[in-house]
Amino acid sequence: MTVGPVARDPATAEFFNGTAAGRFLLRRCPAGHFSEPQAAACTSCASTDLGWAPAAGHATLVSWTVVWGRPSGDAEPDRTILVIGELDEGPWWWSQLVDTDGASLAVGQRLRLEFRRADAEHEAVPVFALA
Amino acid sequence: MTAVGKVYGRPPADFAAEAVRRAVADAGLQVSHVDGLLTSSGVSGGISVDLQRDLGLGELRMLSHLQSYGATAATMIQVAALAVTSGTASVVACVFADSPLQPDVGAGAAYGTRRTAAGWWGLLGASGVIGANPMYALAARRHMARYGTTTEQFGHIAVAQRAWAALNPAAQQRAPITLADHQASRWICDPLRLLDCCLVSNGGIAVIVTTAERAAGLAQPPVHVLGWSQSHPGQYLRRHPDFGLVTGAATAGPAALDMAGVTLADVDVVELYDCYTFTVLVTLEDYGFCAKGEGGPFVASGVLGPAGKLRLNTGGGQLSGYYLWGMTPVAEAIIQARGQGGERQADQHDIVLVSGNGGVLDHHATLVLGSVAGAS
Repeated sequence: MTVGPVARDPATAEFFNGTAAGRFLLRRCPAGHFSEPQAAACTSCASTDLGWAPAAGHATLVSWTVVWGRPSGDAEPDRTILVIGELDEGPWWWSQLVDTDGASLAVGQRLRLEFRRADAEHEAVPVFALA
Repeated sequence: MTAVGKVYGRPPADFAAEAVRRAVADAGLQVSHVDGLLTSSGVSGGISVDLQRDLGLGELRMLSHLQSYGATAATMIQVAALAVTSGTASVVACVFADSPLQPDVGAGAAYGTRRTAAGWWGLLGASGVIGANPMYALAARRHMARYGTTTEQFGHIAVAQRAWAALNPAAQQRAPITLADHQASRWICDPLRLLDCCLVSNGGIAVIVTTAERAAGLAQPPVHVLGWSQSHPGQYLRRHPDFGLVTGAATAGPAALDMAGVTLADVDVVELYDCYTFTVLVTLEDYGFCAKGEGGPFVASGVLGPAGKLRLNTGGGQLSGYYLWGMTPVAEAIIQARGQGGERQADQHDIVLVSGNGGVLDHHATLVLGSVAGAS
């Protein structure tokens, strides 16, 4: 299982409608500034008149960490790579980097958004992959 | 200060009440003299303004529960100083306590954040971003990528603080460690190893704040609150160009020193919030002990530890001493300013610089404490 289970609530319903359709929705104010999807007001101009606008799905790597599971016996601990991706629209997003061992990551590397589900009962979660 | 560390079976409010009683007695006061109470709680919660009842206190002139995470302790001292100088209250007890540790449960599990199943927080958890470790690791990695900072340089901080802890009877981890031990310690969130991360502790600490006039006649050498400042960058989980590179310390540190009328050159002892080794490194840079980006070479240059010239985290800090959030650096600062540090006491202790850090470098509070009023 790559991602954990998550359910929608009223604040995230529109966002998860987007991820279900393979889209990452950002907030956009009338002046055209993009903000993170959880923003309650525009992070550039504080406008509360925010609509939803899909991101193109491309990003660059800002930072990364390899999260190690607790060692148990002789088994190699689980490792998960977490990253901050800067979407081409400007906002940052925090999620897993999938399908790589993370051996040669570098700031500025190009990423793309993908979507994964824990199971059919739960919402699709945005993750990053190397572009 | 109560017993700290692996002290089991007591709820946080119990530690908090004992800490206040001990601090009041230490000052040579009675609990009934307290007319202001500021409370704060850690990961296990359980402390509130109800502490007034637990302490059997009558009418108070100030009572509030504060929360800016690791910046709360220094913030409580600031609020209390404002209260006693304005006449809002005359004797203010500031208390923090926490008791997440249980017997036979690992520290990580005891401290782990429960995964929320829904909404934005649920999404963060489902994405794998759980707790403080990965967030600080992302911050530290950014500093490394930008400035060339290394895990060995983080290790110098861990080794130096353990050497200080060996001199502190209250410290939880006192066995010496080497740089090799640090490098051999397991990854928690690469680039942070086990020995880059703070401990988990149970216990409580209270500080009594009153006017300089009143303090002069009490049982302990007075510690004067000479300067303070806060900075809350307000960029949590938002695009933040300074993330991992510059923190609120860059604003709050110089402002607090200005208020105290001193410069870094006057500072004798430094007690920095050290949830991770990286936090110490970036705070040293932001306070101006070295240039931005040179924290790595600076901490590896031999300035740290009992043999170095910088008196930094002299009780072992949160990494090796005990982890009671912002009260760890505040308490050690008061011990040093009073000259009561025993084997680890700094010869010069007129000016002590203290930091508090909350969230993921989201909240910063600085204190400048002194053994002499208006010292310089």
